[in-house]
Order: sequence, then structure tokens, then C-alpha cells
Amino acid sequence: MDLTRRTLLKTQAAAAAAAAANVVLPAEAQNIATGEDIQLQWSKAPCRFCGTGCGVMVGVKDGRVVATHGDMQAEVNRGLNCVKGYFLSKIMYGSDRLTQPLMRMKNGQFAKDGEFQPVSWERAFDEMAKHWKRVLKEKGPEAVGMFGSGQWTMWEGYAASKLMRAGFRSNNLDPNARHCMASAAVTFIRTFGMDEPMGCYDDFENADAFVLWGSNMAEMHPILWTRVTDRRLSHPHVRIATLSTYEHRTTDLSDMALIFKPNSDLAIMNYIANYIIQNGAVNREFVEKHCNFRLANTDIGYGLRPDNVLEQRAQHANDAQVSHPASFEDYAKLVSQYTVEKASELSGIPKERLEALARIYADPKTKVMSLWTMGFNQHVRGVWANHMVYNLHLLTGKISEPGNSPFSLTGQPSACGTAREVGTFSHRLPADMQVTNPEHRKHAEEIWKLPQGLLPDKVGYHAVQQDRMLKDGKLNAYWIMVNNNLQTAPNTNNETYPGYRNPANFVVVSDAYPTVTAMAADLILPAAMWVEKEGAYGNAERRTHFWHQLVNAPDDARSDLWQLMEFSKRFTTDEVWPAQILDANPEYKGKNLFDVLFKNGNVDKFPLSEIDPAYENRESKAFGFYVQKGLFEEFASFGRGHGHDYAPFDMYHQVRGMRWPVVNGQETRWRYREGYDPYVEKGSGVQFYGNPDKKANIMGAPYEPPAESPDAEYDLWLVTGRVLEHWHSGSMTMRVPELYKAFPGAVVFMHPDDAAKRNLRRGQEVRIVSRRGEIRSRIETRGRNRVPPGLIFVPFFDASQLINKVTLDATDPISKQTDFKKCAVKIVAASADAGDQQ
Amino acid sequence: MSGECHISSLVIHSRPDRVSSIVDSLSLIEGAEIHGGMDTGKLIVTLETESESQVVERINAIQVLDGVLAATLVFHHFEPLQERD
Repeated sequence: MDLTRRTLLKTQAAAAAAAAANVVLPAEAQNIATGEDIQLQWSKAPCRFCGTGCGVMVGVKDGRVVATHGDMQAEVNRGLNCVKGYFLSKIMYGSDRLTQPLMRMKNGQFAKDGEFQPVSWERAFDEMAKHWKRVLKEKGPEAVGMFGSGQWTMWEGYAASKLMRAGFRSNNLDPNARHCMASAAVTFIRTFGMDEPMGCYDDFENADAFVLWGSNMAEMHPILWTRVTDRRLSHPHVRIATLSTYEHRTTDLSDMALIFKPNSDLAIMNYIANYIIQNGAVNREFVEKHCNFRLANTDIGYGLRPDNVLEQRAQHANDAQVSHPASFEDYAKLVSQYTVEKASELSGIPKERLEALARIYADPKTKVMSLWTMGFNQHVRGVWANHMVYNLHLLTGKISEPGNSPFSLTGQPSACGTAREVGTFSHRLPADMQVTNPEHRKHAEEIWKLPQGLLPDKVGYHAVQQDRMLKDGKLNAYWIMVNNNLQTAPNTNNETYPGYRNPANFVVVSDAYPTVTAMAADLILPAAMWVEKEGAYGNAERRTHFWHQLVNAPDDARSDLWQLMEFSKRFTTDEVWPAQILDANPEYKGKNLFDVLFKNGNVDKFPLSEIDPAYENRESKAFGFYVQKGLFEEFASFGRGHGHDYAPFDMYHQVRGMRWPVVNGQETRWRYREGYDPYVEKGSGVQFYGNPDKKANIMGAPYEPPAESPDAEYDLWLVTGRVLEHWHSGSMTMRVPELYKAFPGAVVFMHPDDAAKRNLRRGQEVRIVSRRGEIRSRIETRGRNRVPPGLIFVPFFDASQLINKVTLDATDPISKQTDFKKCAVKIVAASADAGDQQ
Repeated sequence: MSGECHISSLVIHSRPDRVSSIVDSLSLIEGAEIHGGMDTGKLIVTLETESESQVVERINAIQVLDGVLAATLVFHHFEPLQERD
């Protein structure tokens, strides 16, 4: 490369960065070369990884993705990209990519104890359908289940929901998002009657203070973190406060870092509420006009198996979700117990620092954005924690306006779009509707053109319950898509793996790579991923973002959408629906399930000619109509006209996403506030119209201890989580050589004093042991995560160190989301001899 | 040995009071060049490296510099060395 070219490229690179950062460079550096020197076809797509929803430009050459860069036109990231997004082009090209179905076989037949052998799709679906039919016949709909994902495209989740609920008549459908943000989703409904944040990312540019509750944004949401730091740098009065149970990149970069004892966030928030009340900082007018008070049932258990002593001892384990109307005085009395002394004692944070934090919320002139992710959601009192932060914003009226924003971040690219809006939880239907509500079921049956009374009314098994029921032999035909549950579920050795290998069960895994979950299945189906199919994701700020199919999946790999729809062809209504319903609706007798679910006049409404001719679309060609458009438009009809409106399908291929509700082509940035939200009536100012009385609920709840705390034998807290370079279980990022090299294997982050006390050295191999199981890892006493004495942090991305053999399957009893942040372990040298010799 | 030249660019958000010391540290990082942004604390920096893994290494090194709030990639381009030499 000659010098002039090198200079030219650098100029181009610098100009791109300057444009992204809104920095003015000297004049000679401003010209971005527009002539393309290597022939790439560039198209837009949202990033495949977290819930931020960055826009990337994807460069394709000769049918292969060869480059990606941040999309300058994407409002979310404005041309920036984090290190994972930067290497996106490589996630599809790992050397061990699955390209054909694999089934466990012996002597040419399926055998649970056989070895994996390649089979055709025909053969794979034959075997699968045989087991589904057997289980349905012998045990009924409650013995089939599916575990999906917040990484499904929206139409994949929607097709799965139709197949499971309407086809097999089972609500045993849950997404891995249950492990991720069920507590957030449930609390949105409990507080506002509608899911998802009222604000959006524009709040970053309008807040005076950011309070991060259990979120390591600098590593986990790096692009949003640049928006926080941008605001902080350009407006010197802005402050960042970060609460965490250990120090990390984000606490390093914050103005206030508050390290608290696990679970004491509940006490801290109740103290802040008390401070607000005691100091006259309650926005009386707002509270009187727009809020109701309720008190939650207490002593609610820990979502463990019912025979666990902790559940039997709990007074309200079986009605944990119940709350009762109350007055402001009742609520004030409850939180009055949380004095600064009590909060300081429970949390370990000095009183002055707690007061400084409380002042941020109490000062009427400070606009506060509260941000949280897994620290709140993966919490045995995750629903309460979410309530408590809303309480602070509602008491002060700091909500639903630019800069005043309680904001729940998400971890998966379509946790909001697919898990929540489409409704792939075991209790939900599209557009926030519930399976237990007869009106909602009836509405779904009408839109889906199905017989009345077809949809099941019982809440299905949630994620952790699915594992337990597989183990207990009550759930027998099971399909897992786009997730790696054997690595990410809690207490896997006792509660997950036994169910997968239970001889009574047939377990199917659809994935792009041979994850530990796939390798524990009976049948592996090779999946197309990301831009190998047309897709739609919904990010954390209600932004719906589409992309086209840009390349073909390798060999026999097929999208989940194709798999779900094609599999439905193996069934007739007579095989899956009760005779009673068919007798009452004879026109449905003997029909193919595919025809009933997907050739219903809605889904097959749009011809192939409506597909953009510049792009391939394999599923549509396979089925003969524009499947993605038909599924999306049918789904969208659930929400239009009552606050869940989407734009017409084609518009999303033109824009970099839009935030719903989209009314008359306009997106909504702040919901519930007059002037921003078209659904708020004129003159009312604020309306939380998700609830019938248009008011939000302030929910009083106490501090309660975690399910398991360290004791004399198991003397350390275990916290699990992610690192910057790897996304969740690492099945994609561990296959990018650069990311693998940057952080190749998990380590135990431990305080140097704790290591010294146990006679352990940095780098030494150790056993991490809990009451459930143990793994081996290596000690790290330095580096980016600095834990306090008494607590260790272990990331979960490493398949060779399955930390979830050690974790506890305690959940929030209301949201059923697992607490991966708190259990008790001990650490011992891997070889006692080796330790002693040193 | 890789025979490739990688040009990438970063935005480095820096605490204003640390900009000068960050600029000094960047001058010690091989292949890093500052193009502007010192007045706003958003430094525009290009990296010239021989491989992608060096891009990651350099970013990790920059991220832990005192006063750096965030270092974010924007642009990346690579081509074989011999093509032009």
C-alpha cells in the first residue's frame, strides 16, 4: 500500500469517526471518498447482539458478508459500533457451523442413546412429528413445549406462538427472555397496564443525572454508554451514579460509585422514597392526579420447587402476585422504616453517600434517567425492585418527559419485539393480551380466523418450570430455538440436563452452532441466522427495525420461520384439535395445520411480486407468498388503534426503525404525555392509559432477604454475568477469533484478601463449589472487575466452565425470572497438594 | 507477517482535564494517530495495524487509559500489503 493511499484511507477513517462524533476536523480532512474501491453491496440491518438495536451497514461480496460498519443514518448509534458489532461479519462463518440435520441413531434408527448422524430434513421432520403425535395422543397438549428466544425475528416468534397455542393448543411456550427481563416486563404491566418504557434514547441528551442500578453499561451497552458520556462531557453539571455489588468499568467512570451488599438495593430505594416524603419532595399534584397506591403481599417465597422448605415456610408463596389498594399514608408508613441508618446498615454504603443519591431524585430541578438491566431483573425480588424505581419517579412526577425517565434496558435484540410485543411468554398473546382473559383469547381467535374456544386458557410452563417438568417426565416433546439453555439456565446439572436426557422425552434443538444444548438434544436442526433471512427486531426503546435477506444460509441450514411453518404441514386438525371443537366447526375438519394457520387469507395475502427484487427471500419462495409481510400485517392488526400501532410493513424497509405507537406515520418518543403521545386526551397532561382509570400504581413492598446467603461453609456470594467481548453464552462471539483471543476463558474475579486468606494465588486453578454442583476455573485478582471481599464474579460465556452447574434455580415468585446474581459458594484449590506446596 | 494493512478509526471520549495526558499516552501506542477533537474531549484517532486482533488489543489498551470514558470503533478497512507496494 503506497503512502498516498494510506493517507487517503486514514483521512476517510478519521472523517467517518468525526462525523459520528459530531466533531469538526480541519477542512482538508472532511471529504469522505464516495467512490467504492472494492465492489461491495451495502444494506442496512440492526446488529445481531444486544437490545440496544444499533444500525449497521452490511457489505456483501460474492454472496458473503465481508464487512460491517456502524450506520451513520441510524439514530441509535450514529455510526458508532462496539467491538462485537464490529466483528459481526464473522459470526456466520465459524468453522463448525451446522449445515444439515443431525439425529441420534443406532442401526439406522433413531435411538436416544445413539450417536449423531446426518439425516435429511424429510427424515428429521418425520421422526419429530412421530414423537409429537405420540405425546399429544398419550398425554395431550400439556406435554409438548417450546423454548424460544428474544433473538427470534418477530415473525418467527409470531409463527411459533400460532403453532404452539392454536396448532398444538399448548401455552408451554416461553422465551429465554424469561431469564433476562421477565421482571421488567411483568412490572410494566402491573404499574402502567402496558409493557415497555415510556421514554426513549432521546432521554440521554436531556437528563441531568443518570442513576445506573445494577448495570455495567460501559461493557454491556457500550454504544448507549457513549451517549451518556457525551452528555456528561458536554454538560458539566451532569452526574452519573452507579450502584453495583462490585466495581467495574462503569463504576470507574462514574461520578458516584456505590457498592452495596447483594439484595440491599430494595432497602436503598425504600430509603430514597422515605427521603422524598420526609423532605417534602413529593409532587403532590402529580401523585393525586395520576397515581394509585397499593401494598404488595409479603413473604412470597423464592420460586423454588414447592417441596422446598423455603416455599413451605413462606406465607404467600402461592399468591405472591397479589396486592391490595392502599393510601399514601399506608405507603409512607411502610417506607418510613427505611431510615438512612437502616439503609446504610443493610447496604454497607455510608450515610452521606446515600443522602447524596437521594437528593438526585428529590431535587425537582434535576432530570433523572434511571437505567437498569440484569442486576434488577435477575433478582428474587426483581418485580419489587422494578416497582421501587418507578415509585421514585412517580412520587416526584419525573416520568414521561424528556430526560425524566425510568428506563429498563434489554439484553437481547428482540426481547421487546418478539418476546413481549409478539407475546411468546407462557402467559401472553400479542399486544400485551393475556391467555387467561377470555376476551383476549376470543379476539385472537377472530384475527386468526379460528374456531371459538380453541385457544387454551391455562398459563403454560415458564422457562425454569419447563426444565423441572422435563426432568419429572411431564413435558415430553420439546423444541428449543435460538438459545443455549443448558449453558444459561440455573442449576443445570440437577434441573436442566436430566430432563434433556430423560428417556421419556424427545428434545429438538434448532441452532447455527453445536452448542452444549444442541449436543444434549436428540435431534439438531441447522438454522439460518441474522441476514441469511429477512427479519425484524424490536429494541429497548420500542424501535421496530427490519432487514432484508442479504446472503443465503449454508447448505441445508434453514430459518426458524421455515422450520416452524414447514413442520406444521405434518399435522391435520383431526390429529391436534379435540373432536368437540371440530364437530361444532365442521369446516375445519381434516384440514392441514399449515393451511389453517398460515394460508388463512391473512398470512398468504401478499404475493411474491411485492418482495423487493434486489433481495433474495427463501422462505417466501418456498411457500409461494410473502410470508414475512403476511405474518407482520396479521400481527400488527392486534395492536393498531389502541396504543400498540405499527407502521405499514413496507415503511420499515425504508427507515432505520420507528418507535411505536406509530400513528399517521409519526413515531412516539414519550408515551403517556400530552403533546408527545397521540393517545393522551387533550387537556389531561398525563394519562397512563394502559390502566382503565388511566393512573399508574405506586407499589409498596419491603426489603426481604435473598434465597441463599453465605454461611460458615459456603462463605462467598457468587455473581454471574457477561464481559464486553462476549455475548451471553458465547456461541457466536467465541467463534470470532479476535474476540476469543481478547477474552479466551472465564476466570473467577476475587478480592486479593479473600485469595490470600485461602492461600490461593492469581492464576491458580480452583474449584467453585455450591450445594448444587461445582466447576473449575482460575483466580483473577486484578483486571477490569474488582469485587469486594466476600463476593466473587464469574462470567457465563465459557462452555468449558459451566458456572450454571453452581447457581441456584430460585426465581422471583411473580415474574418467574431466575436470580443469577446471588447464591452461596466456597472456593477451594483444585488440587489441595498443589496449593500447599506453594 | 500477515501481509495486511488495517486502517481503523475511533472516537475516544475523554475527561476534559485529562485530554493532554491521554494525547501523550496515545503517542506511545504504535500506529495511533490523532486527527482532532481535543477541544471537545472527543478525540478522533486512526489506527494502522497489521491485523484485526491488533485493533482489539489497541482498543483495550486505550480503554484503560486514565480519563478515557469510552473508546468506540467507527471505521475499518483492510487490504493486502503487496497489492499496492
